[in-house]
Amino acid sequence: MLIAKKSKRIATNILYVIFFCLITIIFIFPMAYVLGNSFRNTQAIWTNAYPFSLKSFFTIEDFTMNGYLYSLGMTDTARYQGVNITRNLAISLYSSLAVVGISMLVSTAAAYFFARLPFPKKNILLVLVVATMMIPQQVVTVPLYFVADFLGLINTFWALVVPWYSSPFVVFLLIQFISDIPYELDEAAIVDGANRFQILWRVILPNCIPGLLTVGLMEFQFIWNEYFWPLIAINRTRLQPIQVAIAAQFTDRAQNWGAVFATMVLASLPVILLFLFAQKYFYDSVASTGIKG
Amino acid sequence: MKTCNSSLRASKLLLILFVLPALLNFIVFRYLPIFWALRTSFYNYSLLGGYRGFIGLENYSSLLKDTAFLQSMRVTLQYFIIYVPSVVFLALILGNFVSMTKPGVNFLRAIIFIPVVTSFVVVSIVWGMLLNRDVGMVNAILNNLGFSRVPFLMNARTALPTVALISVWKNVGYSMIIIVAGLKGVDKSLYESAYIDGASSFRIYWSITLPMISRQIMFITIWATLQAFQSFVPIQTLTGGGPNRSTNVIVYHIYNIGFNFGRMGYAISMSIILLVILLLVSIIQMRMFKRDY
Repeated sequence: MLIAKKSKRIATNILYVIFFCLITIIFIFPMAYVLGNSFRNTQAIWTNAYPFSLKSFFTIEDFTMNGYLYSLGMTDTARYQGVNITRNLAISLYSSLAVVGISMLVSTAAAYFFARLPFPKKNILLVLVVATMMIPQQVVTVPLYFVADFLGLINTFWALVVPWYSSPFVVFLLIQFISDIPYELDEAAIVDGANRFQILWRVILPNCIPGLLTVGLMEFQFIWNEYFWPLIAINRTRLQPIQVAIAAQFTDRAQNWGAVFATMVLASLPVILLFLFAQKYFYDSVASTGIKG
Repeated sequence: MKTCNSSLRASKLLLILFVLPALLNFIVFRYLPIFWALRTSFYNYSLLGGYRGFIGLENYSSLLKDTAFLQSMRVTLQYFIIYVPSVVFLALILGNFVSMTKPGVNFLRAIIFIPVVTSFVVVSIVWGMLLNRDVGMVNAILNNLGFSRVPFLMNARTALPTVALISVWKNVGYSMIIIVAGLKGVDKSLYESAYIDGASSFRIYWSITLPMISRQIMFITIWATLQAFQSFVPIQTLTGGGPNRSTNVIVYHIYNIGFNFGRMGYAISMSIILLVILLLVSIIQMRMFKRDY
């Protein structure tokens, strides 16, 4: 009996290790491939690609930073060919930060309105917000082009910011976070003579910082990774965010593969690092959208 | 309370200022495109020439006879049939796997979630390289193992499943986290009594665990459905709808007809059809989640 139990435990542990390795390989393998090959030049990439071995990922003797330097426009060839993704990275960064910053103010104010303020027929407005979540984004992207065009946003930096400065998901999640703040705190501030704006600024905002972090990271990732909208809205190379620039580099300058890999690393690393340092908030944002539906 | 309220009785107009910026965003950038699209779908509208006259329902009636549109809808349906069961099934397996109390599960969660926060453009390009017929690493491995090379993305039979599975790899982490959150909420005492009654672990899983996380399963199913009908990035970056239109999913078809062929009114009428389909899916979702409250 005891031996049977013990051997069963060993069997489960072996099975666990096998599955563990399998999952790790499937998910790490593509990333290791990109990271390793971003430190090589084109020739080293293709000579080691086949047959498959550990060399296909990386070899010390081929190590070079040239892919990165070329992508960032720091080598002579890059300067001659006009390659420089620094600008695209900056555009992605600025637009993501702008959206997060504006959304934090606008969406929190809206969530505060729904969670706390007395207003006749408030629920009708809330239905308008909730119904917005049902609109499938990719489907509306093409018509959105014409609204943005009418407003003169197409081919400007603001096309990347203005349509997204508030999000129904963010408002909805923040309503939940604000509802969790005890109303006594508001009352105490009211006794002290604070008005609504002061309550929002001094009581609500400081008390929903975890909530703001959760939605802020969610929005940053969304804008940083967005591809379809900027692809349509921006066709001037100088204004393209990094994701669109990568796709262009992949098709245009396919001869410098090291640079393509390096660009991909530079385009994904910021968000992956954010995730690794703030995993809890990322999981929270997923779990809260999932459970609340 | 009453005296407090009177001290800050602001006019209703002032209160609406809190919510106005967010509402303005939703109305202009989420609802207006839909109304614009609805109106445009009744016109002969070209990207360069603008409105060329009211044609009523002609766009819609020609859609019914348009073999390219019907073919694209069929491809989308095939994509849906591959994508949704794979995501749900794998999310269940992975979600249960990383919910075990074993060393390393947090690491697994993180690496499965990294593709979710990585941009779809990068993921597509990486897999496009890995699956390349001549230099791709997957084919190098197949070759090492003695199999013949598979032209994953260049064969009309394999291209669609390949693209669908790339999307599964990218998105499964999201659904997995929802399952993990659901499993956390399952009452452990239920297991004990079932265990005492001598139920097998499969039986326990089937009759206790699965019903307890049915809301989460339903949510990820609908979420995956909405994604399946809106797939665009891997198609645009990897296959361009080919080979032989085998990956010409509907959102890509709309984009292509609208922006590359300039037949915007026609493309928009397809968007409206898709919008109606997805709104129906969302309404079913709302109904199903209401039942639980």
